[in-house]
Parts: sequence; structure tokens; C-alpha cells
Amino acid sequence: MASTQVLKSRIHSVKNTKQITKAMQLVSASKMRRAQDATKASGPYTQAACELLSSLSNYTSVEQHPFFVKRPVKRRLIVVIASDKGLAGAYNSNIFKAYIEQLKKDDKADIKNATIAIGRKMSQFVTRIEDSNVMGVYENLNDRPNQRKFKTILYSIIEMFEKGEIDAVDIIYTKFINSISQQPRVDRVLPAGFCKTKSENTSPDIRFEPSVKEVLDVVARRLIGAQVFQALLDARASEHSMRMIAMKNATDNASDLADDLTLAMNKARQGAITQELAEISGGVESLNA
Amino acid sequence: MQLTLTTLLGTKVDRIIYELIVPTVDGEIAIFPSHEPLVTLAKSGVIAIRNKKNDSNDKLEYLAITDGVVKISQKKVDLLVDEADYGRDISENEVKAALERALKMRDEAKDQVELDEAHQLVNRHTVRLRVAELHRRHRHN
Repeated sequence: MASTQVLKSRIHSVKNTKQITKAMQLVSASKMRRAQDATKASGPYTQAACELLSSLSNYTSVEQHPFFVKRPVKRRLIVVIASDKGLAGAYNSNIFKAYIEQLKKDDKADIKNATIAIGRKMSQFVTRIEDSNVMGVYENLNDRPNQRKFKTILYSIIEMFEKGEIDAVDIIYTKFINSISQQPRVDRVLPAGFCKTKSENTSPDIRFEPSVKEVLDVVARRLIGAQVFQALLDARASEHSMRMIAMKNATDNASDLADDLTLAMNKARQGAITQELAEISGGVESLNA
Repeated sequence: MQLTLTTLLGTKVDRIIYELIVPTVDGEIAIFPSHEPLVTLAKSGVIAIRNKKNDSNDKLEYLAITDGVVKISQKKVDLLVDEADYGRDISENEVKAALERALKMRDEAKDQVELDEAHQLVNRHTVRLRVAELHRRHRHN
């Protein structure tokens, strides 16, 4: 049995770790709430963009726009979102698994692929994979849609698709369902899906300036931007949520461990006292004999 | 007329207003109730909102917007932009510092990509600074 001194120092160390994990749990909980609110915020934007597209479809064939035209997929771009930091449970490993699955699928179907990695953990992972064609690596993204990195990612995706360098763009991220449930998802960004809504009271003599084509182009770009941004927000909320749960489990485990160690220490201390008493009474007995 | 200003970070304005002044690719336009139906492209800049018909210019509300789309129907104006900020939410000192950084970045740009990014940042911060100044000026009146 370990000495009480060793046990004492272990209990101290476990309690220190517990304080850290508890603090991380609280920080993640607060960040998760903010990120959770943000995931709902871009809903009206997508809705408004879809309504505009529906209105436009009365004047032009939206499906004929290059962003919506499906072509045989020979080259595919995969955008993968993981986190910058670890200690978030299975968050990153789930994304890695989903990514590897997609690479295997492409291998089978003889599709060439390229990757854009978002998050430090993802960039470290893709650089370890042989033959991965990494087009870009982005770290430390914040949650502003006008930030340079987000725009750069978006513009490069759109440009590659327009030039015909790639035939499809998929995004792998963790969908935030609620604070307990998050799912790795693969969503197609380009060619875009046309979300037809009920176009409300579109006046027949509505004018488009400068032209229907230019307005359609801007709206379609905004719809794609909203989808990518939504994936980033979902990924962020999922990361904080999973980190919160991981840290809660770590805190609970630390509490259990501290309890077990305290019990062991008390037993060891009691054992030492009993032994000392036995020795004293043994000594007294021998003196009286 | 009903104004709905939707951004990627949520709905910023959703209320009845009297007049909206918005910069578009074809110049600045003022939209009043019963404006002809129109869909046009908004340019990054300052929009002004007059809430009631009798409100003076001092009572105009200003917002900095990024590029986007404006849809005008009979009783409704929908404005779809990536970002929009009220003058009251912008810190003038912070924007001034950000503008200085962007100007420095523009002067030190090594390639076209960096130069384009710097130009975008300079434009964005210039607009935000204008809105913050307009808000301060009108608050003191």
C-alpha cells in the first residue's frame, strides 16, 4: 500500500486538475451558449436569399446559372472544418473519420480530390496523410462573416468552380443539433441546390438593375456564402458543446478519483495507527511479563 | 413601409419606416412608401433611415452596410447584406485604429492579393468611421 504522503500528494494533484477541468467546462458552457445563438442567426439570411431566388426564377432560368448546373464529378474539393484546440472529446476524431471515408469513396469512384483544411488540428492531420492534395490551410477563424479568412476561403472555392478546376465542393463539419447531440455531416456546397420557396406577391412588372443576370449572380454567391458560414457556426457550437461535455466527464472522474484516493489514504493512516497501537501494547505486555 | 435588413448575423432591422436612403451600383437612391417594384444591388456604404415622415434630418438613423441586394415591393423593402452595424454600436477610436492598420497594410502589400484585401479593409473601415462620426454629430445636436 502506498504511503499516506504519496497518496496526499496524488489527491492534491487530482484536485488541481479538477479545478482546471471545471474552469474549462464553465468557459465552454458560456462560449457554447453564444455560439448556439449565432447558429440560429443566419437562418433568416438563407431564407431571404431563397425567396429572392424564387422571385428571380419567374424571370430567368435559375437552374441554368453555372452555380446550379450539375456536371459529372471528376475532381472534387473537400472543405473540412475541425478545431484549433484539443480536449474536445471525439470532436476532431469524428471529423477525421468522416474525411477519411470521403477520401476512400473518391478512390473507389476514381475521383481526384483536393482539400481545404480549417482549424489547426485538421491542418496537422492532412499534412500527415500521404497523397493529400492540400489547397489551403486556415487557422484561428473568428465568427465574423466579413473577416478576411472567410472571404478568402469562399472566393477561392467559387473561383475554382467557375474556372472548371473542380466539379463539386463538399464541406465536412459537425452539425450542431443541440447541446447533447452533434453529428459529423458532409454537405454539398457547389453545385448549389435551388431552394424554391413560395414567392410572395412578386409584382409582374418588377425591374432588375443592372440586370436579372447580375442580380442572380450576386444572390447565388450570397447563398453559397451563407451555407459555408452556417457550417462554420455549427462547427464552432459543436466544438464548445463537446468540450463542455468532455470537461464535465473529466471533472466527474477527478472527483471519483479524489474520493477513492482519500479512502485509500484514510485506510493507510488507520492501518498505521492500528499497527502503532499493537506495537505499544506489545511493548507494554513484554515489560509486564 | 416595412424595412427588413437581414445579415449573416441575424435580422438587424424589422420595422415600419418612412424613408430609406441606400447606396446602389447605380448611385444613391431614396425609397419612400409605394416606390416602384425593383430589385437592385446595394453597395458597401452608409444607409440612412427616417422613421417618421416629420422627422428632421437630425433624427436619421445611420448604419454601415456591406455589399448586398435590395428588393423593393409595394409596402416592403428587403435588404440582404453580409454585415450591418448601427453607428451607436461602432467605437470611433477602435475603427480609427483599424483604419490605420489597414492603410499600413495597403502601403506594405507585397502582392495583388494582399493589396485587394487591404483595399477592402480600408473601404470597410472608412464607411464604419463615417457612420460613427455621423452618429456622434447627430447625438450632440
